[in-house]
Amino acid sequence: MWLLLLTYACLLIVTAGIAWRTYKYASLPVHLRWELYPVAHEVGRPYGGSYLEEIDWWHRPRKINLLGESSVFLREIILFREYFHSNRRFWSFVYPFHLGLFLLVVWVVSVLTGSILTLNGLSVSAASPDFWLQLIFFLTLISGVAAFILGIFGAVGLFVKRSLDKDLRNYTAPIDYFNLAGILLIFLTGLLFWIIEDPSFGAARSFIQGLITFKPSEIGPLMTINIVLSCLFLAYMPFTRMMHYVAKYFTYHKVRWDDEPNKPGGGLEKKLQAQLDQPADWSAPHLHAGQSWSEQVKSNGVPDKAEK
Amino acid sequence: MKRKITLKDIGKLEGQMIDNQKAGLSELPAPFENLDDQPDIKELTASQKAKFDISLDGVSAIGLVKPQTKEEEDEFVKKFLSGLKKLLSKENNWTFLQPLMLSLENCAKCQNCSDACPIYTESGRQEIYRPTYRAEVLRRIIRKYLKKEGRLLSKFTGSDIDLNYKTIARLAELSYRCTICRRCAQSCPIGVDNGLITHEIRKLFSQEMGIAPKELHQLGTVQQLKVGSSTGTSPKALASFIAFIESELEELTGKPIKLPVDKEGADILLLHNAGEFISWPEHVEAFALVFDAAGIDWTLSSKLVAYDSVNYGVWYDDVQLARIAARHAQAARDLKVKRMMVGECGHAHKAMLVVSDRVVTGDLNIPRESAIPLLEDIVLNDRIKLDPGKNRFPVTLHDPCNLVRLSGIVEPQRRIIRKLCPDFREMEPHGVDNYCCGGGSGFAIMDNANFADWRDVVASRMKLKQILGAFKDVMSPEVHKYVCAPCSNCKGAIRDLLARYELTEKHGIHYGGLVDLIANAMVDIKGQFIHWDEA
Repeated sequence: MWLLLLTYACLLIVTAGIAWRTYKYASLPVHLRWELYPVAHEVGRPYGGSYLEEIDWWHRPRKINLLGESSVFLREIILFREYFHSNRRFWSFVYPFHLGLFLLVVWVVSVLTGSILTLNGLSVSAASPDFWLQLIFFLTLISGVAAFILGIFGAVGLFVKRSLDKDLRNYTAPIDYFNLAGILLIFLTGLLFWIIEDPSFGAARSFIQGLITFKPSEIGPLMTINIVLSCLFLAYMPFTRMMHYVAKYFTYHKVRWDDEPNKPGGGLEKKLQAQLDQPADWSAPHLHAGQSWSEQVKSNGVPDKAEK
Repeated sequence: MKRKITLKDIGKLEGQMIDNQKAGLSELPAPFENLDDQPDIKELTASQKAKFDISLDGVSAIGLVKPQTKEEEDEFVKKFLSGLKKLLSKENNWTFLQPLMLSLENCAKCQNCSDACPIYTESGRQEIYRPTYRAEVLRRIIRKYLKKEGRLLSKFTGSDIDLNYKTIARLAELSYRCTICRRCAQSCPIGVDNGLITHEIRKLFSQEMGIAPKELHQLGTVQQLKVGSSTGTSPKALASFIAFIESELEELTGKPIKLPVDKEGADILLLHNAGEFISWPEHVEAFALVFDAAGIDWTLSSKLVAYDSVNYGVWYDDVQLARIAARHAQAARDLKVKRMMVGECGHAHKAMLVVSDRVVTGDLNIPRESAIPLLEDIVLNDRIKLDPGKNRFPVTLHDPCNLVRLSGIVEPQRRIIRKLCPDFREMEPHGVDNYCCGGGSGFAIMDNANFADWRDVVASRMKLKQILGAFKDVMSPEVHKYVCAPCSNCKGAIRDLLARYELTEKHGIHYGGLVDLIANAMVDIKGQFIHWDEA
């Protein structure tokens, strides 16, 4: 029962943590433009051009290719193309590591799906008469095992690279080794419980059924250790920089590719005006602490003292 | 072997953290393989050393004067922390808080950005110039001194850094060892922007502590707001420059060509970098020639600030940025022009078309455009008579970072050159992957103590290699070669680079703007518009 309670608590913390972190970034004020080209939603300018290449762009309709933008973003997330092109050696560890994490999510979802199906009286196994049930079984098996193996390879590789490479070691703090070691342990205990205790992941499905029905199931010690480690890691993650997968949405869509022009009378202009009307408190001699941005702009910034 | 510099060293190391000995820098190609043929960064005099804080690398960009007492040092630290808190607050830094927080909290410290930075690689990989070095110092200060992690926790998270006068003085200088070209940001898979962190550190020093290079602040934005231009040009001086340019034009064409000033209701208010009037008046002439021939309805403004497109605020101070942007727009509004147009000035493009797009509202929110697409339209649609045969010399194009990577204006200038210059050769890499000229973010105009030496030797080193690479098969001084730089600051940096390495007199490498090439190809101009003894 304690394991169920721990799992509920940690799931609650990670959900709240991700929501809090997302809200924190999303609720920050609209900032000045700071895009970086190429901007992925530009139409017909694959070399990195912008609408500023057009005469009279102000009066022309703005064309945005959201499909193109999503495709560039997804390719970056799925393939880690930037590392692949600029740092192949690092990619060879960081990619399997992250692929292991993606596959772990696929595994959890397929275990959850299998558990729901089992609760509805269906049998998720290699011998199931139904193709879809067989598919869930094999998807669970393949994603789980691949996640554990890739994750172990990637985490060990990154740990070793960070320890031996002087350039990386100089910037790696104990917490970074701790995080890598924690993830490595999760993958390692996962692989061990699959080999020793649960080759078909049937016990994993039973545990999830227990979570759904609030009835503890019988699971082995290795799987117990794996679940405890995973839960603690999930509860800890939102408070670390391992949340960069949430941040990445904002860095790309809200900074790097945010080229929305400020057109007169638009919603953006209203938001900006409200922010310009807020007081600022900077203390340098050429600024006037306490005045709003709009008021500051009216002054020419020559400090009174300097004029005297 | 020297010990590798660590993050903690910034607050601990006595004396100078590094030096920039020639032997340690990246190798140069022919004709500069021999170290004796390369220029030096001159050592400061004893009195300069006594006056300025050069504890970072023996160079002084901001002319920081050392505090005399412990109390002054403590006050310095206190002010820095006060500014840091403001930098992280919505009210004081709404302008960049979201990108800043994202970049502060999510760096994976993979160092993928390091090789993208020409200052880091060309310095011989000096640790302090690594894009993550200054950013990581700031992160650690925030964790230890604002989030108040205890001693144990700060050791665990790697935040055990000393915050003292030394740390801050070096961080201030270090924020002027990055040109904010943002090549590092482009290479970050997460989207972390260490160039932005440099920009924010500069803002903290300027907006809270009043510390900025004199060329950017006192002689830059302050002078522009007070006198009218960062060059010190007053409206009266502008009038005499214009009269000179008009007489030159008449001599060249045999007919009077007027530069329209304060023409109400014109289609275009053209804003030049005022440095052009002083250093490259032929560039202003070229614009006038081309616009006149194409029948463009345009004007200049004689209003304070508005006859100078520069906006150095974009590099170090958001309020100064907004002040100048507003005055540019006010001039356009008062003249009732249909649109504002930036001439060949990279940072003015980024300032006017991109960054300060979100600080002008209401009746100041007036259409803003680049002049380069208009020049493209004139050339590619044959609106004037041009003969590419007049440009039969090797030409390469320098891409100003502010124009390409930061504003997305990449192809119009290429289409013009491809049409008008039969011997066009690209630098490698180019376009949005270009390298900075070394003069970015104010470096082109900064010359405190030995800073210009450092710029030419370290910051511009990659550009030197690119230029030499583009012309490697035509290095004879008899062959005139042209580096086209559609940006005033880049032109300034390239001018100084060519002079430092004597590339014009010994190898025939010249430089100039884009419109100059158009004027040179004009059929109506007898002979050459470009004078090789001036370019």
